[in-house]
Amino acid sequence: MGHTATGKRTAVAARIAALAVALMLLVPTSAFALTTNKATARPNEDGGSSVIGGLPTRLTWEGSVEDGEEVTEVTLTLPEGSSFDGSTTKVTVLEGLSRASIDSEVAASGSMLTVSFAEPATSGLLLRLEVEGMHFPDDGGDVVVSGTYVNQAGTQTLTDSKPIKTIANTSLQKMIASLDANPVVAAWNSNPFLGMFFKPQLLVTAFSTLVPGWLLCLVIVVVAYPFAIILGLIFALMKISKSRLLRAIAILYINILRGTPLFLQIYIMFFGLPMMNINIDNNVLGVIVIAINASAYLAEIFRAGIQSIPQGQYEAASSLGMSYFQTMFDIILPQTIRRVIPTVTSDFITSYKDTSLLSSVGVMELMMFAKNLTSVSGNMTPYVAAAIFYLIVTLPLIKAVGIVEERIANSERGGGPRPKDKGAKDMSVAEAEAKLSELAVHASALDDEHAFVPSLSPMNASFGTEV
Amino acid sequence: MLGRKHEGHIKVDVPPAMDANEAARIAYDQDISLSRHHFVEGEHPVVRIEHLMKTFDGHTQVLRDVNLNVWNGEIVVVLGPSGSGKSTMLRCINLLETPTAGHILIDDDEITGKSAKEVNFIRRDLGMVFQSFNLFPHLTALENVMIGQTKVLKKGKEEARAEAVKQLEAVGLGDRIDYKPPQLSGGQQQRVAIARAVAMHPKVLLFDEPTSALDPELVRDVLAVMRDLALNGDMTMIVVTHEMGFARDVGDRVVFMEGGVVVEQGLPEEVFDHPKNERTAQFLGSIK
Amino acid sequence: MSMLSRRQFVQASAFAAAGLLAGCGSSGGDAAPAADASEYTLVNEGKLTCISNLFFPPFESMNEATGEPEGFDIDVSKSLAEHMGLEVNWLPSQDFDTLVPTIKNGGKADVAIAGMTITDKRKEEVDMSDPYVDSNQSIVVKAGSSETAETLDDASKTIAVQGGTTGADWADENLPNATKKRLSTIIDAMSGVQSGLYDAVVCDLPVSRYQIKMSYSDLEIIEEIPTGEQYGIAVSKDNPGLTAAINAALAEMETDGSMDAIEAEWFGSAL
Repeated sequence: MGHTATGKRTAVAARIAALAVALMLLVPTSAFALTTNKATARPNEDGGSSVIGGLPTRLTWEGSVEDGEEVTEVTLTLPEGSSFDGSTTKVTVLEGLSRASIDSEVAASGSMLTVSFAEPATSGLLLRLEVEGMHFPDDGGDVVVSGTYVNQAGTQTLTDSKPIKTIANTSLQKMIASLDANPVVAAWNSNPFLGMFFKPQLLVTAFSTLVPGWLLCLVIVVVAYPFAIILGLIFALMKISKSRLLRAIAILYINILRGTPLFLQIYIMFFGLPMMNINIDNNVLGVIVIAINASAYLAEIFRAGIQSIPQGQYEAASSLGMSYFQTMFDIILPQTIRRVIPTVTSDFITSYKDTSLLSSVGVMELMMFAKNLTSVSGNMTPYVAAAIFYLIVTLPLIKAVGIVEERIANSERGGGPRPKDKGAKDMSVAEAEAKLSELAVHASALDDEHAFVPSLSPMNASFGTEV
Repeated sequence: MLGRKHEGHIKVDVPPAMDANEAARIAYDQDISLSRHHFVEGEHPVVRIEHLMKTFDGHTQVLRDVNLNVWNGEIVVVLGPSGSGKSTMLRCINLLETPTAGHILIDDDEITGKSAKEVNFIRRDLGMVFQSFNLFPHLTALENVMIGQTKVLKKGKEEARAEAVKQLEAVGLGDRIDYKPPQLSGGQQQRVAIARAVAMHPKVLLFDEPTSALDPELVRDVLAVMRDLALNGDMTMIVVTHEMGFARDVGDRVVFMEGGVVVEQGLPEEVFDHPKNERTAQFLGSIK
Repeated sequence: MSMLSRRQFVQASAFAAAGLLAGCGSSGGDAAPAADASEYTLVNEGKLTCISNLFFPPFESMNEATGEPEGFDIDVSKSLAEHMGLEVNWLPSQDFDTLVPTIKNGGKADVAIAGMTITDKRKEEVDMSDPYVDSNQSIVVKAGSSETAETLDDASKTIAVQGGTTGADWADENLPNATKKRLSTIIDAMSGVQSGLYDAVVCDLPVSRYQIKMSYSDLEIIEEIPTGEQYGIAVSKDNPGLTAAINAALAEMETDGSMDAIEAEWFGSAL
């Protein structure tokens, strides 16, 4: 023992002083007290961030033991209507960041919960109570955690916690609760497949909580697409232009974007741009990435569409004296657009589905909501609900593509609203043959200097600039 | 004689285009016995082709040395076996093909070696009817005939429409103006194409085998329209065709091409009944 | 016992030993399940098939050169398998929030060893082994930033978390006003804070400490949050024998010093 008599005496004096202070504590104004650090509750709204009354949640309460105190018991009290019944409490005692081993017993009844420690919790320790499965009052409102504790000097009043915001039970939650109680639903869920992929409670939750994500997906793709079309058209025209530089730029742009995964493009844009101090709103950035990516595919679709227009159309326009731009915008593009509508729609469907990749960088779209819900519930049903949300959009579009394709095929066969002329059908065969032979003639008529880009033929021959 | 080379463009020395007045005088003296055209003292040919050459891929020589004059209001029918260069010559006249060498003059103006913009301007004067019609399938018959007028000639909508209706009625399609090409028969489409070319009021109308893609029973209608156009107007026409009847009845002059040159030309009855050239005789014999 | 296969016999012997050791230890009470340890099924015979999210250093990551999984949990799995007389088999990385459903459904992997805190929620879905390491939470921001837990709880602030983690739960509960971004990996979250995309990350303290030391020197921890949480190994509820066997092996690892050795390797000292 290294203590001197004086030391011992000081210690005794301190203890007396402490006792005196403890006695004073019995009077309402306390000089020292177990500090309530915080009381929080885990959001229990499926797919939301609110704490709902009347539904099981987890209350976390933390308090620090102050200097000189030895706490042996903590009692938490909640307002009327709350319930600790059926809850389980995890008691963690921490010294700094390390766990201290103090055994404890928990007694819960009604709106009171008492934790008694086998040995006193001494100063500097952090008491952490996690009460799983407790309920707040049905009506919601701000809930203050109050209570008492016992230290060496007797029973003390706990300082009130900051209020916890809770909301009243929603009709959706009530519906889910009624599903929970339904024996048919229980039987359904007991089937591992149905319970894992088609749990009714989660379907209901998902349909209501996934809507904002679904709308964001639609907004992103609907806003991105017009830009993608314009960009795609510009790059398509660049790719078939006579300027070697413009062609090179277009080929580079298209090939890089088509040759790399969208996922990687998203990562580069979302993590790369901020590093160059370019900060763009996440949703706007999502629109930009989707638009740029789609533009490369659209450029190829438009280029193929433009080049599928027979040579004769360019020649006919030229023979009327139309300029390059008049030919392009009045003759070629209107026909191209009709031809590419099905392909463009398919690409739109792809882009719409591709918005799901944005979830990886935190854009709050459909997939993100589904993932959140799945991670909370440990169940696959939210993904099934997300699939349904995707299909709501894609199935009608797929159907529409089929109808449009058929209509175009029909009109090119010479069908249409007024097919009176019997000869029409036979003639279109002759016409097709004529076009074929014409194309063949043209192919052989290519100039040497352009042979390296055969696709340029429509322009070169019909606009004699190199005369 | 120019031979074939395996690489590079064939280099040829073509003399500069002749002086207009001198050329007109020589042409007048030469053509007056070859055409039914009513020549007027001192007039100039509307199309003058001198030493026209066209080579594809640097070595496939399609036109070797074509010389031809066409006079205002004249109907010239060009005959010849396939591969003789007759279509290429026609396409050179409105610059759908770029001549390799030689001169083409419209109203004494050289049209080769021009910029894209000038070429577009020149083409207004040169209407073309194609073998495969080449109507714009997304536009109605009326719009097909209007678009050149509104976009190129910058005519007003109403004026263009009136002209289009007039020309469509002239080709017998007054009741089909709102039909789109796929809803029309081949013969009807070709008549719309003729109306489209005529509505531009070009100086010269070029026909590139206009009936070759048509079924025999539909050829008659198209030929009737062309005949009508030739006999009742003052249109200048160069017609590449295999229709001998049309050539004999309607043509002012028949031109026979082979191997990229004009081997014989003259009055239709002269060429048909007394061909001077052996190849012409052979060809006409094989047709009959 | 006469019905046991050779493999089961080997395991039985191992766990008999483990049970003995456990019985000698002070923990008590847990010795009983050791008797059931021989009764468990494995996805692949003779192999302990493990899944994790392999972007959670130092607990689990992929070796840059070889692409092989490495880390504290990987070494734990190896030692665990060794103690159980099994080989260890790591499957490719998957998102953290899919681990519990995967184990619950079974058929793909036997265990998820993923720096996974034992929580009541998780215990509703799967069995969790006894804890094998302690952990806490932390808030990470860009170095020199003036953010605090208070300023971060604001609608204008974006907090990146890894989906399905206790860090995500902590942020939901304690920073209710901030916008939370749930990402697939903690690496994405830290890169995002580094680039200014997000204001802060909430994640397990050992991970943030390690990451800042190794790769994200321009980030700092502004708050170490004592939660006293403990990692456990997730096992399907249909396989209680495996949980028991793992608990026995973990107890053995604590006593024979293997756990201390692994801690020393990854954290510099036994915890």
